[in-house]
This record gives sequence, structure tokens and C-alpha cells, in this order.
Amino acid sequence: MNLHFLAGSRNEKLAIMVVIIMAVFIGRLFWLQIVQHDHFMAEARREYLGQDKIVADRGEIYAMNDGVPVRLVMNENIYTVFVDPTGVGNPQATASTIRRIAGDKTFAKIDSLIAAKPSRYQIVAKNLTPQQASELKKENLLGVGLQKETQRVYPEGQLGASVLGFVNAEGKGSYGVEGALDTRLKGTDGTLRAVRDVRNIPLTIGQENALVPAKNGDTLALTLDTNIQSYAEQALQRGMEKSGATNGSVLVMDPQTGHVLAMANLPGYNPAEYGKVTDGALFNNPIISMPYEAGSVIKPFTVTIGLDKGVITPASTYNNTDYIQVADRTIKNASIGRKTGIITIQDALNWSFNTGMVTVLERLGDGQNITYQARQTMYDYYYNKYHFAQVTGIELANEADGLLLSPDSPNGNAVQYATMTFGQGMNPTMIQVCSAFNMLMNGGTYYHPTILAGTITDGQLRPQANQPPITGVIKPETATTIRQMVHDARAEFYAGHDKKGYNIGGKTGTSQTLKPDGSYSDTQTIATYLGYGGDPAPRYTIMVKLWGKDKNLQGGADALPVFTDISNWMIDYLKLQPKG
Amino acid sequence: MSNNTRTAQFTSRRAASYGRNQNTTRFASAVKLGPVTHTVLVALMITVLGLIYLTQATRATGYDYTAASVDAKIAELTTQKTDLEVENARLTALQTVQSSSVAKTMSTPSETHYLSE
Repeated sequence: MNLHFLAGSRNEKLAIMVVIIMAVFIGRLFWLQIVQHDHFMAEARREYLGQDKIVADRGEIYAMNDGVPVRLVMNENIYTVFVDPTGVGNPQATASTIRRIAGDKTFAKIDSLIAAKPSRYQIVAKNLTPQQASELKKENLLGVGLQKETQRVYPEGQLGASVLGFVNAEGKGSYGVEGALDTRLKGTDGTLRAVRDVRNIPLTIGQENALVPAKNGDTLALTLDTNIQSYAEQALQRGMEKSGATNGSVLVMDPQTGHVLAMANLPGYNPAEYGKVTDGALFNNPIISMPYEAGSVIKPFTVTIGLDKGVITPASTYNNTDYIQVADRTIKNASIGRKTGIITIQDALNWSFNTGMVTVLERLGDGQNITYQARQTMYDYYYNKYHFAQVTGIELANEADGLLLSPDSPNGNAVQYATMTFGQGMNPTMIQVCSAFNMLMNGGTYYHPTILAGTITDGQLRPQANQPPITGVIKPETATTIRQMVHDARAEFYAGHDKKGYNIGGKTGTSQTLKPDGSYSDTQTIATYLGYGGDPAPRYTIMVKLWGKDKNLQGGADALPVFTDISNWMIDYLKLQPKG
Repeated sequence: MSNNTRTAQFTSRRAASYGRNQNTTRFASAVKLGPVTHTVLVALMITVLGLIYLTQATRATGYDYTAASVDAKIAELTTQKTDLEVENARLTALQTVQSSSVAKTMSTPSETHYLSE
């Protein structure tokens, strides 16, 4: 069709105008739909596509109750109440209702918060229980909303707090199992992206919907036995009150598996109220994070080296003068004049004579001096076989390694090694010492200590694959001998309160502490006791440690009663039968 | 000997009748549709198809609301279950059991005897 307009006619002008207007429209549409396509698509997506984070549930923590897993750490729903001040119908009635239901969880300034226009969001109460939240929901208050959150809850209260740790305000696990296994416990959050309607309900229409499910954290089961843990904490509390110690630790292990049965530290704290703790040191677990000079409980380890190397037997003798010269230093026994003259190594262990231990070290060399070879042998046992001053890898946060000087270090001289024979000049942790003691008592197999029994899946315990044990660390006959020697050392002086008919042994330790000037203090000492019990194979090992500022504490007088208390209870709990 | 001759080309009877029957009858619609009508009809068809699509999409969306409602119910029941589990754990906790009236009446045996197996 050909249109012909007269030149300069109104029709021609109108046509030109229409064409121009159409061109403007087309140009504008081109600009919006083609040039700015991506921008407006993104705007549109923002409008109708919603993306939510699907929060993964943090895994719970179980412990054992006589072999049955029970919950020790759970997740609890709590609610935060918020208001939209612009939407509240009757501010006074609303505040009054919230106060009535939420009680002391209501913020004191709720009236001013509700009146804080033009703000659209004000928190007016926190930490409501599910019952309170349900009651508030029924009131159907205008402009009032509830936000659900989860928090850790501890049905057993403070039990095992230093083992468990806590989850901080940012949701990150701190200290203990929570800190060490945070990655496994927290899981992985998922996402849901979907087209939403005006009520924010996700719809299945659209091609950009996506669902990445959340992966909940692992639910872990610990080897801790709640009954043993509870009793250990009570016994420790009694021991501290009796001795006057301000701090105490108890470690109970199964020497046949390396499992930790109880790990008690006092003073403790309530992990549900960790924010109220003013002394951050309470969060630590001294059993794994506080290396110290363990003192005479190390003596069985020194004797074991002599036995294993064949340089001594329990009946080997030496001349005890209560003093022994090492290089330019004189080392003396803690108790003087009690049993001098020719005595056996068993006597030295019973009486906890330092001279006897230095003698064993001399016999690892040329018999007269602490040679480099003797020191090398001792270091090999302490470091490579006993794993002193090495992180054990137990599933707890903040484990320390400790200190052990090698004979090649500048200070690894004869005097240093002489003091190490009776537990000075070296700093292992309790977990290291007790794990090595397990090896001596169980016949020579080193089990890496563990506190993780496995995971709970579908209500069933799936055991954890532990690090493989190291067998044949010492000769079986050596293990048998040292176990008997430790038994005899206890029987000599300290077995009076033991249940009769059981195989129980142990060793005391009283360690001086270092003063600021580097010398040892006699007025501030740490009391330790390390022992085992069984029927007759060792079924448990217990290590007790008591200490405090300016406290003079003794292994025999203060730590040993705690061991005896727990040991006698363990015999009943494990239903061990006397063997005559 | 016959004098009949044959032609070289063959014509069928039907073909031969084409010319004879032509213009005898012819269908002609009484309704005349112009280009505008055609356009309107196509637009109507598209509209109907669009409505059908919308009907189906709305039906699917209706299921979404049902699913959302069920999800909300599941979440509520899960919350209740969690709360009950926490309450159960608290009631069976060692501390609770130890301070129970039953535990308070219990006593420690003074002596234990074992029967040989």
C-alpha cells in the first residue's frame, strides 16, 4: 500500500509525528529490554526469588551410662520477642501482656521500645521457653513476632564442663569437645532458593528454584561414663575440702583400651552460663593443657627402663645414704634417715627414694656415672615409648605438649637427667602420664588416649575407629614386674583402706613448684597419686592431682585418699569380684 | 491381417474425462474471513492456551500452599519433640535422680558378698 501525502499537508506532518513517537517508543523499549536486560532481570529476581539459609542442627553429645549412651549436651529451642512499633495496636496492653508471660525475660525498657517509631524492629524479650512462646502466640498481639533460636542445654548441669566446652554467641565451639570437634558438630548449612508469593511462601514454579539440603552435624558419643564422672567430681570435691586445695583434677581411664572414663576438674563452671564466668582459666582442662613436674609418680617409669634393659630387678640392691652426687650437685631423698644402708630397688620405690632412681640411671650407663648413653636410653623411653611431652591427639581443644629435654640439648646434662628420674626437670601432662601408665599396667601396649566412642546414628552407637595401638612397647615380663612393684609400693604403706581381695597398686608424688627466682618452693607443692585397680588384670587407672597457691599438699596425705575413695567405688561399680 | 492402427500415446479414461467434467460443481464457503478476523482468532487461541497454562500453574501453586502448611506442622511437631526430649533428659539426669525422694531413702550396703560361679 502506498501512502501519498501532499507535501506540507497536515496528514504528512501527522504521519511524521507518529513515526517519530513510534521511534521513541521503540528506542525506549530497546533500551529497557535489550540494553538493560540483565539489570532488570536481576531486579526482578530479587523481587520474586527468595533465598533462605537452612541452618544445620548442631550435633548432640552423648556420654555412657553403664554402657548405654545418654544425652549430655542437647539443643533447646528458645524464642526472642520483637515488636514492630508502627504496627502495635495498643502499646500499653501489649507491654503488659508480654511482661505477664515473659516475666523477668522482658526488657526493662519495653514501654519505650514499643513506642520507638519509626523503627520497625525492636527486641523486647529474650530466651523465652517454648511454653512461654506458645502462650504469647495465642494472644495474637498485633505487631509482635517471635524468632526461634537454638541454644545448647546441659541436662546434667556442670557435669564434665571442662571436657565439653561450650558454644559461644557466634555459634562456634570453644574449649573441650565443642572446640576440638567443632567442624564435625556444626554440620553444613543448606540453601533454599525459590519463587515466593507475597506471603513469602516458596512456590514450585520457575526454573531457578534450587534446594541444597542442610547436613546436620554429627551426634557424638563420648567414652565418659556419667556415673564415674559424677562420682569422681564428688570425690575430688571432698578431697579438696579436706586438704584445703583450691584446684584439683582426676583422670580415670580404661588401661585396656585407652578410653577416658572420667575427667574431672574443679573448680568448674556451668557451661549454660559460660558468659558469667569471670576467671577464664576455669575454661581450661588442666589434665590436657597444663604440663607440670609430676614428681615421684614418674619413678615407676624410671624403674621400668632398668627392668626392660635388664640392668636391675626388684631385688637389686644399692647403698642408700640418702644422698647421691651427680656432677657438681648433691641429690637427696625427700625423707632422710628412714631406711639407709643396702636396700633393694623395691624398697627405693616403696620409700620413694630419689637416690634409687638415680642409681637406676647410672646402671643404664657404666654403673657409676650418668653417661650420654644412659641419658639417650632414658630419653628414648620417655619420648618414644612413653610419649611424654608429645600431644596425644585426644579429641579435646587446647592440648599442650609439655617439655622434655633431649640429651643433645644444651641443658640435657647428667644433673638434668638425674632429676628427671624422679619427675623433676620435665613437664608432661596428666593425660600423657596416665596413658603411659596404662601401657605399663596392661602388659606393654600403648593405647592412644581417646574420649570419643563414636557417633550416634539412628539411635545406634557406631564405634569410632581409633588410632591403632602400639604393641610390645616394653617386654611383657617387664610389665608384669612393674605392676607387681607398684602394687607392693602401695601395699607397703597405703593399702589400709582398700577393699580386700583386689589387685590395687599405685605411687604417690609430691612435687615442689618453681618460685619466680627459679628455685624450688617447699611451701607450695602439688600432690599427685597414680594407681590402678583390677581383678587381677587392671580394669581402671586413676590419676589424682591437687594444688593451690601457697598450699603445701602431699601425695600420700592428700591425693591418695581421693584415689582410694574412687577406687573402692569403682570396684563396686564395675562389679569386680575379689580373688581371695 | 488387420488394418487397425495403434497410437503411440495412451490416455486413461479418467484423464480423458477431465476436460469433459470440468466446471460441473465447485465448493465455495459462504463465510468470508478477512485478515483481521484471522488475527483475532489466532489471538483468541493463544489466550485460551495461556489460560489453560495458568490453570495448571495455579493448581501446582495450590499444592505449594498445602506443602508449606505441612512443613510448618512438621516444624512445630519437631520443636515439640525436641522440647520433650530435653525435658526427658532433665528428668532422668543424675542430679535429678540423686535428689529424688526414692534415692534419699536408699542406703549404701555395709558389706557385699559374691557367690562363686
